[in-house]
Amino acid sequence: MPVNAPSGLSGFWQVVWAIIRKDLAAERRTWQILSVMLVFSLTAVVVFSFGLGAAGLNPNSALARDAAPGFLWATILLAGTLGLNRSLTAEQENHSLDALLMAPVDRSAIYLGKVGSASLFTLTMEAIVVPAFVIFYNQPFWRPQVLGIIFLATIGYVATGIMVSSMSSQARMREALLPVLLLPLSLPLVLSAATAVSAYLQPVPPNWADVQFPIAVVIAFDILMLTAGFLLYHYVVEE
Amino acid sequence: MTTRLDRITPILNWLAVGLVIICLFMIFFYAPNERNMGNVQRILYFHVGSAWVALITFLVALYAGIRYLRRPSRDWDTVAMASVEIGVIFTTITIISGSVWAKPAWNTWWVWSPRLTLIVVMWLTYVAYFMLRNAIEDEDKRRRFAAIYVILAFVTVILTFASIRILRDIHPVIVGPVAEAAQGVAQGEQDFAPGLAARMRLVLYGVATPTFIVIYAAWLANRMRLQRMIDQTTALKARVVARLQHG
Repeated sequence: MPVNAPSGLSGFWQVVWAIIRKDLAAERRTWQILSVMLVFSLTAVVVFSFGLGAAGLNPNSALARDAAPGFLWATILLAGTLGLNRSLTAEQENHSLDALLMAPVDRSAIYLGKVGSASLFTLTMEAIVVPAFVIFYNQPFWRPQVLGIIFLATIGYVATGIMVSSMSSQARMREALLPVLLLPLSLPLVLSAATAVSAYLQPVPPNWADVQFPIAVVIAFDILMLTAGFLLYHYVVEE
Repeated sequence: MTTRLDRITPILNWLAVGLVIICLFMIFFYAPNERNMGNVQRILYFHVGSAWVALITFLVALYAGIRYLRRPSRDWDTVAMASVEIGVIFTTITIISGSVWAKPAWNTWWVWSPRLTLIVVMWLTYVAYFMLRNAIEDEDKRRRFAAIYVILAFVTVILTFASIRILRDIHPVIVGPVAEAAQGVAQGEQDFAPGLAARMRLVLYGVATPTFIVIYAAWLANRMRLQRMIDQTTALKARVVARLQHG
């Protein structure tokens, strides 16, 4: 990577961008994160349908319609933990994180870089899963407001996830630990995002007054978790 | 070697025992009988008392976590850990006592109303704290990660507190704005004969809640003392081993 002693604000973003590019290059050669996330999430769509029984197998049933946003969030969260696990565990296993930390760069830039690449992977997965939900549940998930909320919630989820998986990847039984830590932390995000998405799936678009509060919580979650990660990440990776 | 902690712990212990006896007596013999629910309403004193203490313990844990990150010290880590431990237990008491009350009052053990959602999120988040601690072997790292996690956990609890306004609440409000409290009375969830509501509040805030806070303080002091004893024993062991090897 052509990063020569970066300094100043442009240097900071240079590091962030370099880390995103590094992760994308590694993924292009192995496809190990995206393939697992995609196959898992498509399996989840099918399993959830079967889980509802006969009602779920009919995409026009009221039950399938009401349950679809919840299933979408469950799928995104669970597939997300798989991707986050791989993203940091690979760094640990190859000791590439140690090499990264030897570089004289700001730890916050490493954090934002990891959030950037993991967000891109999760958004790519969603680009396949959301159409799958449109097809299998016959719901207008393609509405721009719905996509916007999914985008915002993904950023917050990944921002929390990189913090937690950076810790859990240094622990015993790391694969199992991540969901136990990350899912409870994400509950306010899920609750708000799912409420807002359900509102926008209704045939009649909701009043702004009805959805502004959940959307505000999602944005507040993004800002708070990114700030916490920005300020605390060097405690996570310091030796 | 007697430290200040060694002197203060037995005092807190006896204070807690005394207060618990007084508290139980007041709850069962002094507190007024509620008109609709009868004796079932007495659960409130345990329920609200432990909910307050749980909130206090998590605030203390947040403070201790921040202090630890600024300057790592064994004591702040122990304060955070013991507070979360005690907080989880008081949260559990709150959930169970609330559930027992809800069955006769609402005819169901559980509803996803805001306060109930908040407390279950809080419980899950802080139980995971121990999963994290148990999974990390290196002691410095374990304490550092625990401090970070306690801060993240608090952010979640605050946001859950904000986000649950989306949900409809049937939880009675006995503390808070007058309009809401009046609504709670109108729903018939807290109904006392004239003049007796003051007695309920006295038992709740004058006796039960302070008692639970003293239990927390005593518990915390004992936990700190235990941690120091463990440290001393480890240091002594190391000295004995060193003496034997070189002697």
